[in-house]
Amino acid sequence: MNARVLRVEIADELRGILREPTALFFSIVMPVAFFALFVSLYGDQPSGTVQRGTAMIATFGTFGVLSVVLLNPGTGIAADRGSGWLRAKRVSAVPISSTLIAKVIATMPYAVGVLTAMTATAAITGNLNGSVADLMRVYVALLIGAIPFALLGLAVGFQASTNACVAILNAILFPAAILSGLWMPLEILPDFFGDIARFLPTYHLAQLALAQLTSAPVIGHLLALLTATAVIAPLAALSYRRARP
Amino acid sequence: MERVNTVLEIRGAQHSYRDQRALSGVDLDVRAGECVALLGPNGAGKTTLVNLVIGLLRPQSGTHVRLCGGSPARASTRRKIGVVQQSLGFPATLTVLELVTGAAVRAGRSRATAGPVLAELGLTELGKRRAAKLSGGQRQRVQLAMALVADPALLVLDEPTVGLDVPSRRRLWNTLAERKARGTAMLVTTHLIEESAEVADEVVVLDRGKVVAKDRPDALIAKLPDRTVSARTALDLAALRGLPGALWATLDGRQATLATREPETLVRALLAADGALTGLRVEGAGLEEAVEVVIGQTMGAAA
Repeated sequence: MNARVLRVEIADELRGILREPTALFFSIVMPVAFFALFVSLYGDQPSGTVQRGTAMIATFGTFGVLSVVLLNPGTGIAADRGSGWLRAKRVSAVPISSTLIAKVIATMPYAVGVLTAMTATAAITGNLNGSVADLMRVYVALLIGAIPFALLGLAVGFQASTNACVAILNAILFPAAILSGLWMPLEILPDFFGDIARFLPTYHLAQLALAQLTSAPVIGHLLALLTATAVIAPLAALSYRRARP
Repeated sequence: MERVNTVLEIRGAQHSYRDQRALSGVDLDVRAGECVALLGPNGAGKTTLVNLVIGLLRPQSGTHVRLCGGSPARASTRRKIGVVQQSLGFPATLTVLELVTGAAVRAGRSRATAGPVLAELGLTELGKRRAAKLSGGQRQRVQLAMALVADPALLVLDEPTVGLDVPSRRRLWNTLAERKARGTAMLVTTHLIEESAEVADEVVVLDRGKVVAKDRPDALIAKLPDRTVSARTALDLAALRGLPGALWATLDGRQATLATREPETLVRALLAADGALTGLRVEGAGLEEAVEVVIGQTMGAAA
């Protein structure tokens, strides 16, 4: 991969976000607003060794990160396909990997922004009791663990129009968020939510992030996410090959 | 010597989409400093041929496509092509300068190459303007700048003047003529046949996936009708095509247009067949009519 081309691709993506941040603004504001609501309701309750308000940085943070990393690269590819921009890049011999990596990397500052805003909200409401190192591990787990979801977004973006892509990805994200206990803790939801959650990669990503605060075992969650990646990556590659440029 | 000069070489190009044949044995050469105009009705195979050239379609069995001696499937070969698409939506947030410097970097060239190309196309003043605020003509010039900044051996232009006003079209053709004089090979698909004839060295007419005519624009015109006759008439299309001297005819409502090399014979026959016709006009025919006649003749032969 050509580093000069990758730098240009990333710079173009970041310019797009910084100069027209409306869509991603809502991607940040909505999860953070929901977080503020739920943390004020349940934040002071205990959740194992940490306060629930801190634990929600991992669970609600999963939703916040995915609302950026799942949606933005996929809808970006769908928009580029619709406008002919992706075709222009293919003709100009830009490796598709550069385009895709740039789209995912460009969402990372926003994902960090979501997590930072949630952490600040937990601190302001007096519900933050994790160390900086613990929180950093949560951030890293969520950012790296979100990669298979970015691939899923791209797989949809290679096939659907921009509007359809937004609708499809939201239709995946919101039920998965509820069923995985990302908004409300699974303990306060009916048991069958927990039974379903074990089969959802969103649940395993949240639990992987939560384990950074509780020192719970992570191997099962890592394996679940690796399996999800092994399934979604070829799907994304197939979707790209079948995409009309 | 000629092999060195040949930028694009296509032999026996054939392509099918499932059971539908889009190209059947098309041969085409474009040499350095030569402009070939690709003409034909919708569905003739122009887009399929262009997509083969720019590497968006994989050649099927028997198809030989070489660009500067290499396969367009290879990225290193595709860097030698500049493409101007019919409608390209730029990322709205990027400026003209960012788009053109980005194209330079993607083509493996220095960012500094953008400045002279922007100046050549009169875009220097627009360098800081975002793509979303460009007019249609400006967007087309930016796209051409993005193609030219790679200093391509072959420039492929797909309907480059669609949506442009007359001064913008004139400016575009002038730029292309200058680039051609500097040795850039060009393949242009267009419906504005008369305009392209000013730049094209050769016109290739495609119909139903086959080359039905290939010649210099002036030679093509010389071979074919030199007059068009138009009138409002009650005659149907079959009757018009059967008139003595009629090489080709179209009917739009009651408005008929016929091409001919024997205008007197045709007008007499037309008046005899429909004494009530109105708005009779006889005008000089151009390349557009020539192409229509070529396609009409091959359709007649096929029938």
